[in-house]
This record gives sequence, C-alpha cells and structure tokens, in this order.
Amino acid sequence: MFKNYLKIALRNLTRNKTFTFLNITGLIVGMVGAMLIGLWVIREVSVDRFHEKGEQIYQAWNRDKVDGEIWCWTSTPKPLAPVLADDFPEIVNYSRYSDAGNLIFKKDNNFLKGNSFFVDSTFLQIFSFPLIEGDINTVLNEPMSVVITEELAQKLFGNDDALNQIVKVENSIELKVTGVLKGLPTVTDFEFEALLPWSLMVQLGYADNSWSNNSVATFLELEKDVDVTALNDKVKNVTKNHSQGSTTEVFLYPLEESYLRDNFVNGKPAGGKIDLVYLFLMIAILIIVIACINFVNLTTARSERRAKEVGIRKLSGAFRGMLISQFLIEAFLLTAFSTIIALILVQLLLPSFNTLIDLELSIPYSQPYFWLGVLVFVVLTGLLAGSYPAFFLSSFKTSQVLKGSFKKIGSHFSPRKILVVSQFTFAIILIASTIIIRQQIKHAQNRTKGYDQSQLIYHNLNDQIEQGFVSFREEALQLKLVQGMSKSMSPITYSTTNSWGMDWEGKDQDNKQLIHRFGTDIKPVELFGLTLVAGRDIDVTKYATDSTAVILNESAAEIMGFDDPIGQTISDGPKYHVVGVVEDFIMGSPFEKVIPLVIESSASWFETFHMKLNPELNTKENIAAIEQLFEKHFPDIPFEYEFVDEAFANQYKEQERFVTLTTLFSSLAVIISCLGLFGLSAFAAEQRSKEIGVRKVLGASVARILILLSSDFLKLILIAIAIATPLTWYLMSEWLQSFEYRTTISAGVFIVASILALGIALLTVIGQTYRTANLNPVKSLKDE
Amino acid sequence: MIKLTDIDKTISSKFQKEFILKGINLEIEEGEFVTIMGPSGAGKSTLLNIIGLLDDASAGQYLLGEEDLTSLSDKRKAKMHKEHFGFVFQAYHLIDELTVYENIETPLLYRNVKSSERKSLVAEILDRFGMVAKKDLFPAQLSGGQQQLVGVARAIIGKPSILLADEPTGNLHSAQSKEIMELFQKLNDEGTTIIQVTHSEDNAKYSKRIIELEDGAIVKDYNSQEAQHA
Ligand SMILES: Nc1ncnc2c1ncn2[C@@H]1O[C@H](COP(=O)(O)OP(=O)(O)OP(=O)(O)O)[C@@H](O)[C@H]1O
Ligand SMILES: [Mg+2]
Repeated sequence: MFKNYLKIALRNLTRNKTFTFLNITGLIVGMVGAMLIGLWVIREVSVDRFHEKGEQIYQAWNRDKVDGEIWCWTSTPKPLAPVLADDFPEIVNYSRYSDAGNLIFKKDNNFLKGNSFFVDSTFLQIFSFPLIEGDINTVLNEPMSVVITEELAQKLFGNDDALNQIVKVENSIELKVTGVLKGLPTVTDFEFEALLPWSLMVQLGYADNSWSNNSVATFLELEKDVDVTALNDKVKNVTKNHSQGSTTEVFLYPLEESYLRDNFVNGKPAGGKIDLVYLFLMIAILIIVIACINFVNLTTARSERRAKEVGIRKLSGAFRGMLISQFLIEAFLLTAFSTIIALILVQLLLPSFNTLIDLELSIPYSQPYFWLGVLVFVVLTGLLAGSYPAFFLSSFKTSQVLKGSFKKIGSHFSPRKILVVSQFTFAIILIASTIIIRQQIKHAQNRTKGYDQSQLIYHNLNDQIEQGFVSFREEALQLKLVQGMSKSMSPITYSTTNSWGMDWEGKDQDNKQLIHRFGTDIKPVELFGLTLVAGRDIDVTKYATDSTAVILNESAAEIMGFDDPIGQTISDGPKYHVVGVVEDFIMGSPFEKVIPLVIESSASWFETFHMKLNPELNTKENIAAIEQLFEKHFPDIPFEYEFVDEAFANQYKEQERFVTLTTLFSSLAVIISCLGLFGLSAFAAEQRSKEIGVRKVLGASVARILILLSSDFLKLILIAIAIATPLTWYLMSEWLQSFEYRTTISAGVFIVASILALGIALLTVIGQTYRTANLNPVKSLKDE
Repeated sequence: MIKLTDIDKTISSKFQKEFILKGINLEIEEGEFVTIMGPSGAGKSTLLNIIGLLDDASAGQYLLGEEDLTSLSDKRKAKMHKEHFGFVFQAYHLIDELTVYENIETPLLYRNVKSSERKSLVAEILDRFGMVAKKDLFPAQLSGGQQQLVGVARAIIGKPSILLADEPTGNLHSAQSKEIMELFQKLNDEGTTIIQVTHSEDNAKYSKRIIELEDGAIVKDYNSQEAQHA
C-alpha cells in the first residue's frame, strides 16, 4: 500500500511539472531563508554556553540611580572581587577582566598588535578556553608572563614553538610566553588575543584599590546550586559599606544570560539581543508559513483534478484515513526533497551569508541534534503544508465528484483567498518595514555632524609616542603634510569618559546628569572645524591660563544653566574656566541625543592623536609620507591609523546589517508569495479558459479579459494592503521608539510598498494570464 | 435482492420542493440484467446512484437482501461498496496517474489482498479482456473503448454481486459498444446482477428487463425478450 502511495505521489509530481516546480521552489526558497536564520539563532543562543562551569559563573554588576532612573552596568571597582570572595563562602573563585588595550608585541623585528586583557590567575580555571601548551593552573602565576592565542603565536613566532619564548610588549617590558591558547571559538563574546597576569598589573602600578573607580569586569564562580537570590541580598551593599557616601549597589547576573539579555531598563532585565533573535525567528516562521501557504493553495486549487481520484478510491473501498495518509505522504515527500536541496543551497550560500553578517556560521553536520532538528523540521513543515489539503481532498463526496457536479463547489473556495491575503499581508509588512528601517538609517546618516570629518585621521597614543610627539608634530607641520595635529582624550567619534560629579556655580546638588569629557592639547575648534557660538578656541600657546580652559557644547551649557557661560568655573577634580561654547556635534551614536560635553585643555590625559591632512595633497601619497615620517620617529610602533569618517560610518554597521537582512528576507517572502500567486493565476486561467473563449467569440478584447482575470487577485492584494498598513505603522513606531534621533513614518512608505506589491502581483498574474487570454478561442472551446 | 419501496428524491430550491424521483417501487432479483431507459432528465442517473449508495433517497426504504440500507454512515457505505457494488461510468473515471495494471489493481489494495494473489487476479482479468499487452500504458494512451474495458475490469475485479453502469457506452462507437455489452452479458451469465442506464435500444436488447422512467416515475417495467415476441 505504501509503495502504491509513493508511486502515485511521484507520478503526480512528475506529471504536473509546473505545479511541482512552483511548490518545490517556494518551499526551497523558504527553507533556505529559515535555515540561514536558524543557523544564526543557534549561534546566538550558544554564545558562551560552552564553559564547563557555565551555570556557576556569574558577573557582578553595578546598579545606581542616575538622573531619576536606575542604571545597570558591568564595570566594577578592582577590589570588589577579592572582597566578595573573602566575605562570602558561596563564592569559590573569582577573576577580574580588565582591558589593557591593543598592545604592541614584538619578537626580533617582527611586531604586531594584540588585543590584551589583565586577568586573575584563575581566569582559565573558571572559563573553558583550552590551552594547547601550558598548565591552566599556573600559566598566569608569574607577573612577567603572558598567554597568547595560537594565531598570535603563529604571527609572532611562525612555526617555532612559542612556549617559554620572550616577547617584548609595548617596547618596554619583556614577558615570557607561558601558555598558548587554542583559537577562541566563534561562539564567545570574549575577544582577547593575549592574557596578562593580574600580578603584572600590580607591578606596573595600575592596580588601584579605589572603590569609586569602576574599571574592570568582575567574574565569580559560585558553588554548585547556590541560592543566588539570597546571595544577591547579601552582596547588595558591599560597595556602600566600603565607600563612604556611595549609593551604588552590586548584584550578580548569570554569565549564560549576559550575552542575550544584557539590557536593563530602570534596574529590571529588559531583553537585549534576545529580542533580535525572537524577531528573526518570527521572520523565519513567517517565511516557512508563506511557503506552506503556497503548497496548500496550489494543492487545493488542483483539487478538481484530484477529486476524481479520491472518488474512485473511495468507491474502491478506501477509508478516509487511508486517503489522508496518502496525501500526507505526498506532502512529506515534497518537503523532504526540498529540505535536501535547501541544505545543499545553504551550504553553498553560507560563505556569502557569513560575509554579510560578519560571523562564522557553519552547519553542524556532526551533531545528532542537528539531524533531529532537520527531521522535526521536515515533519512540521510537511504537516503544516500537507494536513489541510489532505483533509480537504479526502473529504470529497464520491457522488458529487463522480456525478460531475463538483466544479460548482470548488470555485468559491474562500480559505484560499484568506491565505493569499495573509501571504501578501506578511510580504507587505516586510517590504514597508524594510523601507522604514532604511529611512531611519538614512535619516541618521544625513544628520548634521557638527564638525568637519574630511581629511581627519586618528591614531592611538602611547607613552612612547607621547614622548616624541612634539618633534613629530613639528616636522609634519613643517613638511606641510598636515594642517594640524593634536593629542586628544579619545577619538572624536566617541567619548570614553564621563562623570556626574562635576560641579559649577548654581548646580542643583540632586542633578546627577552625566557630563562627558573630551580634551585636546591644542586648538580643538580649529582642528575639528567646530562652530563657536560664544567665546573663543583654546590656545595654550597664546593664553598662558589656557592650560585650565574648557569649551562647552550647547547641551552642556544648557544643563549647567549659565546666563553667560564664558568665564564660569567648572570643577572636575581640577578647576577649569569656560572660554567658549560650540554648537552641538555628534560624538557617539548618531541615533542618540547629542551628549553634554566639556572639552578640556592640556591638563588632562591623552590616549589618541588626530591629524588634519593637508587637503591639497593626494591623500594616498600624503598618508604614505606621514607613515614614513612616523616610522622615522617611532621605529618600533606600527602605524595604524583610522579615518574619522570611516570610523563614524562604522556606527551604522549594525543597523546596516540589520537592514540587509530584512531586505534579504522580505525579498524571499515576496518571491515565494509571487510563486504561489503565479500558480494560482495559472490554474484560474486554465479553469476559466472556456469562459474566456466564449467571451472572446462574443468580442471581448485581450485587455478586457486581462482585467477580468487579474481583478480577482488584485482585490486580494488591496485587502492585504489595508491590513498590513496599520500593523506596520504600529510595529515600526514601536521600533523607532528605541532611537532618540528618529525619522517619522510617512504615508509615502505605504504608497511605495503598495505600488510595489500591486506591481509585482500584477506582473505575475498578467504574465500568466496573458497566454490564456491570447489563446485561440476555437481551441479552448473544442477541449470541452 | 434489491427492494425499493416508495422512494422519493427531492431537491429544495428557494420556494418549493422539486421531485426528481417520486414513489419509486422496484424489486430486482439476484442475477437479473436490468436496463433503465427514459428521456434525458427523467431521473435515471439519480435512481442508479441511490441504488449504488452514491446518493441518499429523501424518503422511502431501501433493502438489500435482509439489510436495510436506507441511511448508512459513510464508513458502512464504503464497506458496502467494497463488498457488493461495482461501478462503470460513462466518463470511465480512470486514475490518470496509474497504469492500466495499477488502475485495475486499486480495489484489491483496499481489500487487503496479498500481493501474489493480486498479481494473479489482475493477470487473469487482463488476459480475459485481451489487454495484457497494454498493461503498462496510461489511460491517456488508450482508445475510449479500451479505457472503458479497463473501467469494467476495475469494477469487477473485486467480484461485486451488483454491477452498476451509467451509460457505459455513451462515449463509444457501435463496435466498441458491442464489445462492452457482450462482456456484460457474459458477466450476467456468470451470475452478476447488472443494472445499466442507456439511451441505446441496441444496448437495451442485451438485458432481459427494461424499466422506463419519465419525470421521476416508473412508467413501464417489462421483459424485453417477451415484448419483442409480442
Ligand atoms: N444535484 C442536483 N441539483 C439539482 N438538480 C439535480 C441534481 N441532480 C439532478 N438534478 C435534476 O434531477 C433531474 C434528473 O437528473 P438525472 O441526472 O437523474 O437525469 P437522467 O435521467 O440521468 O438524465 P440524462 O439522460 O440526461 O443523464 C434533472 O432534471 C436534473 O436537473
Ligand atoms: Mg444521466
């Protein structure tokens, strides 16, 4: 019996090639989309889930009221971890994790930069980052040691054994390689290439004991099965107890939640990347549903052809259950076949998809759960696509079918219309949302930046460069390679430091608004092309007192509430006097409000320097010349600069990736929907070929017939537009709420989306219908 | 064997009830070969469908032997179809996706006949109908007469006691019709009860009894051979 089912299924599929092709293509396209999303989801939910002690690892977070709202953040004081471990026996181990920056590693004449972190010697005992060489219990014990990844080892030492070799770091200290790490897995949020022992930090004098300097991440290993809620109650006040006047509370948050749910709103967990995971899961499901709707529609549209078979089989003694299983087997056969093709396609497309989303996804062929997942996927999709047609087809009454009165019943089948409407509703929602997301990014990109990014580059500044900086600058200016050069606290694209502790005359002492810091050693207004609204630029060469001068941006001036800001005193540790106010400029995310900012003069510390290139020179040659000059001054330091405009544009990367993905998946949804519409209109045209023949004999033009045939479908698309428009409006308004600087949704979006949907649908239907409309009427009439 | 008592078939349109069949009383014995004739729209097909349980009567009683078939569940109907009835249709109604062999085999599949037995049964019937050479062809590759032969073969392979045929030769020319009718006669001689609907006097001659229907009622019921003699 099963063989018979299989046989007729295969014959049915091979005989109706258009139908099978449409069905399979729709399913394959849908599955490829869903599988790509699936792989990404798998990766997202497995980030940092591989640590053997994963369930016991917690991170200490800070929590405090800022500006009337509870903020949560992960940088914590350095003494927090040891104190917690001392005070609470539930905490069996700890490791701090402190960014040491992109340090220069040098072996003989070979030097390169490596992302480095100071960690406690227990780090590798808590986290499961396996070592190729070295012992996890001792590698980080000695201060003058370093653990590097195999990639870094390979670059530094080539094929030589890295273990016990000496490497010079930042051209100042010599460290012994005590361990080589296997390359970090792709499913981790940690990004180190080198681990430095905490004892080295102590020796270098960076390891302060201040409870008010939040500067490191604190990871804790708890005992198994600890009641974390109770422990959280106990650890809450540890910072308050050690730091007079502090209002900051501490709480422990599981590592395994940290990647997906790192967003807190007013002190409460409020999602994070998990939202995106859910969003894309929903898109994946929608795409599969759209593909299954095709299957349902195309199968039931052909029901007249299958009806006879059902009738005969019932007369031959088939019970309904047998027919249901027969049709389900057909559906499973199709889904299984489509799944195989889809898997092959995914394998082929994966490299490009990986480039697109900047990740390294792979198909976990060797995992049993993967194959189980595929099986479940086939069964679910088969059921979703096959069960309705199976019940529908098997429900035909023998007498109706065989007596020939069946046609009347079939033609007013409305579930099919509902399905087409829902398909296009999804498709239009996706199209319109994609347009809105694009507009939002454009909107932010077109935002006035408030300074001149052209010909502006920046470079890291370390002690060595700082020492030779003045002569390097002199020479660069003299050679007219640059128009200006200045040390600064951070790149102009983002601020690295802020405080709510600044003081000024008339400050409301409850005001805990964060004010950000920026600083240069010379003429910031001139260098960055800022616009002064009051006062003047800082210039220490001209005004002796300018070593304590600051410039405010308008936002800061407004918060401070000065009638006349010039001459006011601001205390931020040292006391500064305001010499100018500049127009707001974007420092930070272009999607956010402009941050209140004070630009401090040379008294502050510096981590970066900016150069304004001479615009009269060819940029490429100019950069090469600067690099040569840099090498002359700093032979041990790689010249690794960044263009400010490029760094700025990088801030759109995440959003742009998001828009690429939504564009991709909405195109898939549209393609699948059109395949279905194509099939349906083909069948409708076939069904009505006699009517068309009669109409043509009676004198109807091809155009009239086209209108007649397409209007049915266009009505459905119009209904879909009517449903999709308010839904999209609502959903996208919610989404836009997450941006401080946002576009407004215009009616134009929906007009464009509607025209697009109607146009595509019309093309699909007409392409198919045109053939029928042009048929010689004699032929279609003779057929009957 | 078949006993219809006061059978009505009505359809209700918006304002009135319309009789398609009215007060049908009919008895058909085992082994009879009956022809139902009458003008188009008289209700012949409707009557045949009621006998074959493809349609329900609106009123009256239907007995098959001792069994009351007046209102059966779909499951019971399917069982009756399996056990008692074979159908031959004017439009053949072969499954296009199956070969001749597979079309004929289908009823056996639903009767759980063993594969080896199926093979011999189908082979036997193919041989008898002279279709062995065509067994792997699809319906579209056969002539109308050949298709109807397959239709008859499929109808009788399950050894039904009653064969119902609604204008079985309606689409065939006379030589093909003759072949089918001779086949029916042979089946009838072997004991199958046959009820056919036809417009053709020639076809009617093969049966012993003719029932004439007009406007949903039986107007004549006579023995054709006797009538000829008279
Ligand atoms: N499902 C139905 N709905 C409405 N009327 C019907 C239906 N089925 C049959 N009829 C009507 O019942 C009457 C008898 O139909 P039936 O098919 O039994 O006629 P017939 O004698 O077989 O005619 P023909 O020789 O043309 O096949 C006709 O008037 C027909 O219009
Ligand atoms: Mg009829």
